[in-house]
Amino acid sequence: MTKILFRDKLDKCVKQWKSDGLTVIGPVQRANISTYAAVDHAAEFDFDLVLPDRSIKDLFFPQSEPMLRYTIKKESINTDECLPPSGPRIIFGARPCDASGMAIDDPLFGWDYKDEYWFQRRNESVIVTIACTKADDFCMCTSLKMAPDSSKGSDILLRPLAGNNGWQVEELTDRGREAFKTISDLLQESADTAASLAVVEKKFDLDACVAWLQNPENFESRFWKEISMRCIGCASCTYLCPTCHCFDIQDEGDTYTGIRRKNWDSCSFALFTMHTSGHNPRSTQSARWRQRIMHKFNYFPGKFSVNSCSGCGRCSRQCPVDMGITETLQEISTLSL
Amino acid sequence: MSIEEQYRTRAKELLSGGAVKMVIGYSKGSNASRRRPLFISSPDDVDRLVLDDACIQNLSGYLVSEGLLSDEKRVAVFLRPEGIRAINILAAESQLDAEQIVVFGFDVIGNEVQALKVIHVEEFSDVINSIKERAPEAAEEELFERIEKMSPKERFSFWQEEFSKCIKCYACRQACPMCYCRRCIVDSNQPQWVNTSSHTLGNFEWNIVRAFHLSGRCVECGNCDRACPVNIPLRLINHRMAEEVLGAFDHFAGTSKTQEPVLASFKKDDSETFIL
Amino acid sequence: MSETFEPEIIAFVCTYCTYAGADLAGTSRLKYAPNVRIIRLPCTGRISPMFILKALQKGADGVLISGCHPGDCHFTHGNYHARRRWMVFRALLDFIGIPPERVKYSWISAAEGVKFAEFINTVTEDIRKLGPFEQYTQLIEQTQAPASL
Repeated sequence: MTKILFRDKLDKCVKQWKSDGLTVIGPVQRANISTYAAVDHAAEFDFDLVLPDRSIKDLFFPQSEPMLRYTIKKESINTDECLPPSGPRIIFGARPCDASGMAIDDPLFGWDYKDEYWFQRRNESVIVTIACTKADDFCMCTSLKMAPDSSKGSDILLRPLAGNNGWQVEELTDRGREAFKTISDLLQESADTAASLAVVEKKFDLDACVAWLQNPENFESRFWKEISMRCIGCASCTYLCPTCHCFDIQDEGDTYTGIRRKNWDSCSFALFTMHTSGHNPRSTQSARWRQRIMHKFNYFPGKFSVNSCSGCGRCSRQCPVDMGITETLQEISTLSL
Repeated sequence: MSIEEQYRTRAKELLSGGAVKMVIGYSKGSNASRRRPLFISSPDDVDRLVLDDACIQNLSGYLVSEGLLSDEKRVAVFLRPEGIRAINILAAESQLDAEQIVVFGFDVIGNEVQALKVIHVEEFSDVINSIKERAPEAAEEELFERIEKMSPKERFSFWQEEFSKCIKCYACRQACPMCYCRRCIVDSNQPQWVNTSSHTLGNFEWNIVRAFHLSGRCVECGNCDRACPVNIPLRLINHRMAEEVLGAFDHFAGTSKTQEPVLASFKKDDSETFIL
Repeated sequence: MSETFEPEIIAFVCTYCTYAGADLAGTSRLKYAPNVRIIRLPCTGRISPMFILKALQKGADGVLISGCHPGDCHFTHGNYHARRRWMVFRALLDFIGIPPERVKYSWISAAEGVKFAEFINTVTEDIRKLGPFEQYTQLIEQTQAPASL
């Protein structure tokens, strides 16, 4: 017997969570795109998606966020700090790759400077993950040593029932248990079996790739130029990535008043590394793509002992020229043989 | 012999004879429905070339990659009529020398790939004129008309919802063969004309500026629209602009390499009914 | 009693004709609506649509643009180029849902002080009737607000 949350009870759960003061967020289809957004009713959720187009990163690290307002007068400079909105929230129906992406970024945002904007949201969010029963051509969690039911980064893990009428509930953290306490009456003990998990084919040998990347000789390999020839240098892979975390701080306004904002930035852009002098240390797109791969699978793990990729596959799925991490690492695995 | 095979053979001839230094075409993609750009410079690789109805990306933008044409050697490229129009515009705007481009022309009618038999950019004027009359896709036409019929307020709300999704990844710009500026206005920060923030106001600004810069230059290849990861129907805006320059100035972009850019030229009797 | 809405209008004018026309209106002691802030540029050809957008984005309720009559451009054809651009830009604004009535265009020569004063009055009145550009104001306010989630 396991604890089960039946689908027909979900709307009551949403109501209960809302009356407990939680903002309820989940996967939805809106304006021709799938994303995670706040909902009022369970009917708004779309659980049939393999994965929403946008990742849950948006909920912790929004694309543009105000940091402070400033007014400069002759005698004084006034600043007024803008903190992220506070209040508990529950993200219902995240995918394991998205949830683990947040856990991957935690050490980065807390390393030397503790990023309040990130951690306030992290501390106030309960992530309820639904294991995947479907995958598409671009899913690659298994290649990253994760699985369609990885629990990393999740507070609750739900396994869909074979009848697709509910989920087995596995409570993983105190925060998860706390959020599910108020809906415990809506859960039932039952012997329903879980649906079989998505089969995600293993696409490359991660260890071999990492070893190749760590070999300094390969930094100048011709491979980088060849693989990235078609890269057009947009930021869609980095912006859709659940773990890409680069940002820029910009003052928007004039000499007297304005607002300082934290905006996403991307290593795909030439401007990302452009010096004031006009010199650009990463002057070609191949150098920029190399940086992205090296950062994710060599530098980041070197510092935080975890790869900066959770295998969601969005980079390849959405790439306008059909590139992505999958293909690059597949090619590297053949090189490293 | 299929068009794919004919073009492979021609690519092999051109590469082995040294007539071109590179062929830009399509290869298989990461799944059955995808094709990806392919760059080959060895005749041994021509078998990787694929040509079918899934080859939709306009490849002309790669021709203005930094340094590619500066050695004055020729490059061959697979192009649909829109791509050939793009080459004409790039030539008219002095971004490339059309003589350096060898065209592997093709068009897709329904699901069928047809070869366009000529090679040089200037020989395509009949093809280009024929697509002038081509009707837009039905689904697109329907949404376009729906937007046109809206009140200004409704239209604003429509675009507000669409632009609120924009993440300023600039995939639209990067995918566009006409966006060749080495430094885009949004990348200029002295002064910072366009904010980098992707709040809705900033997104309006970016998308309006982008559309304006493409007015009278867009060939409606759809690269921007397909590249957009958040599915903003960018093509509709470009289509409206194309319609405007055609109606107001009888300008159909990219008919020849000597065509004057519409917003860099004028007639003394241009319409000015709106000027008080 | 409700207060009348006083629109804020930005005018981009060319220095050779319209700005001189504005001067003439001033020296002729003509009275006109005080709602307009004038920005002088070398030529209408120098008025990038970017400027118009920026004005709206900074909260202007209307924008007006004016320069030399066709044929009179100090640089011989700056205004002809501008005219084409405006045509296209108007269509773009309209398609996006920004009412083109908020952006007005005119030719005013250095001798047309009276036309200048009248133009300012008419435009101010028209924009006043349209009211504040609420949809844009709302977007401007959003940029000042903390993130929603």
